[in-house]
Amino acid sequence: MNKGTYVLKRLGQSVIIFWIIITMLFFLFRLGLPDPTQALIAEGLSREERALVQERFGLDQPLGTQYLIYLRNTLRLEFGTSFYYKAPVAGIIHERLLNTLVLMFLAILISYIIGPLLGVLLSWKRGTRFEAGSIAVALLFRSAPVFWTGMIAIMLFSIRWGIFPASGMRTIPFAETTFLTKIFTLDFLHHLLLPSLTIGLYYVGLPMLIMRNTMLEVMGEDFIELCRGKGMSEGRVMYRHAARNALLPVVTQAAVTIGLAIGGQVVIETVFSWPGLGREMLQAVRNSDYPLAQASFLLMAAMILVMNLIADLLYSYLDPRVVYRGGK
Amino acid sequence: MKSERKNKNLKKEIIKLYLKNISRPLRIIAGDPLALTGVFILLFLTMVGIFAPFLALYDPNETHIKTEGVVFSFEESLFRDEWISDLPLNEIKIIEDKPYTVGDGGFMASREKGTWTTWELTTEEDLFGLSFLRGEFGVVAGSGGTLLMYENGEWRKEDTGFTGTFYDVQLVRENFGLAVGQEGTIYKWDGTNWEQVSSPTPNDLHGIALLDQDNGFIVGSRGTILKWENGNLSPEMVMTIRDFFDIDIISSGFAAAVGERGTIFFYNGQRWSEQYGPETRELRSVIIRDENDIYVAGRFGISLNYDGLRWDRVDNPYRRHFRSLALFEDKLMVVGTDPYVNELASPTWAHPFGTTHIGRDVFSQVVFGTRTALFIGFVTALFVSIVGVNVGLLAGYFKGLLDDLLMRFVDIMYALPFEPFAMILVLVFEPSLWIVFLSIGLLTWRTNARIIRSQVLSLSERPFVKAAKVVGANNARIIYLHIAPNILPLAFLQLAVAMGWAITAEATLSFLGLGPPRIYSWGTILHAARLSGAWRTAWWWIIPPGVLIMLTVSSVFFLSRSLEVLTNPRLEGEIEDARD
Repeated sequence: MNKGTYVLKRLGQSVIIFWIIITMLFFLFRLGLPDPTQALIAEGLSREERALVQERFGLDQPLGTQYLIYLRNTLRLEFGTSFYYKAPVAGIIHERLLNTLVLMFLAILISYIIGPLLGVLLSWKRGTRFEAGSIAVALLFRSAPVFWTGMIAIMLFSIRWGIFPASGMRTIPFAETTFLTKIFTLDFLHHLLLPSLTIGLYYVGLPMLIMRNTMLEVMGEDFIELCRGKGMSEGRVMYRHAARNALLPVVTQAAVTIGLAIGGQVVIETVFSWPGLGREMLQAVRNSDYPLAQASFLLMAAMILVMNLIADLLYSYLDPRVVYRGGK
Repeated sequence: MKSERKNKNLKKEIIKLYLKNISRPLRIIAGDPLALTGVFILLFLTMVGIFAPFLALYDPNETHIKTEGVVFSFEESLFRDEWISDLPLNEIKIIEDKPYTVGDGGFMASREKGTWTTWELTTEEDLFGLSFLRGEFGVVAGSGGTLLMYENGEWRKEDTGFTGTFYDVQLVRENFGLAVGQEGTIYKWDGTNWEQVSSPTPNDLHGIALLDQDNGFIVGSRGTILKWENGNLSPEMVMTIRDFFDIDIISSGFAAAVGERGTIFFYNGQRWSEQYGPETRELRSVIIRDENDIYVAGRFGISLNYDGLRWDRVDNPYRRHFRSLALFEDKLMVVGTDPYVNELASPTWAHPFGTTHIGRDVFSQVVFGTRTALFIGFVTALFVSIVGVNVGLLAGYFKGLLDDLLMRFVDIMYALPFEPFAMILVLVFEPSLWIVFLSIGLLTWRTNARIIRSQVLSLSERPFVKAAKVVGANNARIIYLHIAPNILPLAFLQLAVAMGWAITAEATLSFLGLGPPRIYSWGTILHAARLSGAWRTAWWWIIPPGVLIMLTVSSVFFLSRSLEVLTNPRLEGEIEDARD
């Protein structure tokens, strides 16, 4: 199988999986909530208005037609109006997603810079106390639930020592500004640091251990011996030659982690009151805001699919030894 | 005949095989100190979970009420609380520059040079009133018609015939005093005897403030204020039906009375007028220094000051109930307390992990939480392993279309984000144990299935499987008798990993409030702490559950790490072919 067909096949697979997820969601919602306008009645919707909504979303049509309308709306990114905000879902999600992305970007940057560097160091210092100690610390952070680490961090750094703000994204009151001017303020960075460090420390163990293990493998290969034979220092051999070749699994893992992180840090956003996508979805669930919850979920699933796809393609692109076998 | 024996032998051999494959992980664990520690921690926690009802000190839902007798001293910006009795204190008076106090259970104490000394009284009744003319002559009054006179170091019980409760007593001179109590009861001291005075009211009387033998007031429930004038009692016109609890008077004739729902009345020498203070809760005690400096204390740590123009709260750190106040060396000294909810108490022997914001014992919650966490962790992991192993076996053995179908299904599962998926389930259904179980179960078997499948793929190419096929063994037999024993160690490892993951996952979902609302787990404890907002300071509430999650998950991790030898042949020789 050549490269082009492999890419196409993986792409096709992802699209089909996404379609199945959309479909699953549709039937899950219909199973639990035969008539979504029921939830709107409490909001003071009159009979006529309700009929209007029913007609617009095709709720008076048979199930098959409803499904087609739903598919069409999803494809056009028309997720309807949020019950709670009374505003188009797309706009709300757009803003929250950006907030989440900033947080996750910094967190993953922290963990995927520190992690691999530490991993190389660990493979270098194999069998020493330093190795055992670092692994133990990384595992401790990994085994503690991240929301709990966040709570402890707030308790110590915000409440007790007052170094970082305890919650939110900016100090109240603040002026409405555009997204870009907002994220490049000191105040924003100040708010950003504690949550992203918490997540970063949680994620650091994985790239560290992956890096260490691949390094141990790579160090056994012939070209390393060659480098040593040329009289290079051990540090140079490690970081310049071995590490480069061991980076591949870390890179693909990074892509997978980004995909998971988008939807996976609901808890940290909740603890730090970070107005991101995950927290918004939790609130949507509490408010029975179906359109908002549904769109958030689809976005997160799509993000995972895309990042998994990128990870697979990266892998095949970066490692020429990988044979294109259609994901088997 | 021969084949039957062979069959028997085969069965024996297969049982041996299963046993061998189960015993190997155990032997490996026994040789690894970290894994062994992990196993002991897990066993210990399992025991805690099983014996939770015996280990828990209290019902985790019980609200803990605390009663104690405490003296609170307001000193500059400093506050001091001295615990002097197990039961509430009811009255404090300063006599000859020394604080005296009485309380429930026949308690009386006085303070000298900074230390409280308990008086030995001959009664167990609750004491409410206290009045001393000087250190050598005085009286205490309380329930059961108790009136104890103190004279020259001797206590003498007065026999009045009254069996109700005296709420207050006051001596003005050696031969004059009044005592009041339930149902309008009033007694007068004439120097030798306590005589009943006919009362104009049937209401309970709570407080006396006499200026001298001829002038004073008595207050009581339902807005009762009686004027004592030249030996006569007459009801005052007061526009309230609230209960009064205390009254104080100064020589200018100015008086102040306080009562339930923040009621305050002033008397200016002619008539009573209502004051509008900042409180709506029960006020228990009032003391007047002069017309422009009045102090009031009440329930829930209320302390107020009136400066002649307006009322202000006197800041204090207490939420406990105040019953009586006095001015000692120009500082407020307050006694209490009624039973109060022992909320957010830091760890003590009675509550090793402190209490929650509604006075529940955190330790008991954590013990029961251990049970839930381990139970959900184990059951989910078992479910996940069974599904994962079977899917892996079927996909890896049959290959082709079935494999494709099952693996594409696994791919779909991989695209579902965990917490959001659980949230969708909660949105459509209701938060419950099933949601937790379902979302963890549905999204975890995917990894197990993949790992088992790849192992089965390689195993099914082995000679012993091919041999079994040639002999004509059916598929089920090959899968479960020939291949399955070989993947048992791997399945065991996956079970451990899944359990660690399930425990964190359960905690995460419960923390988000997606779990069952009325069951304690480590996650729900943290959820409650977060909702209450008290977690920012109440470290005793959030540290234990988190540390336990950490301990459990890292134990499971060390366990699985040592088991990895089984699955990673590079770590320890090749996996033996089960048949040799």
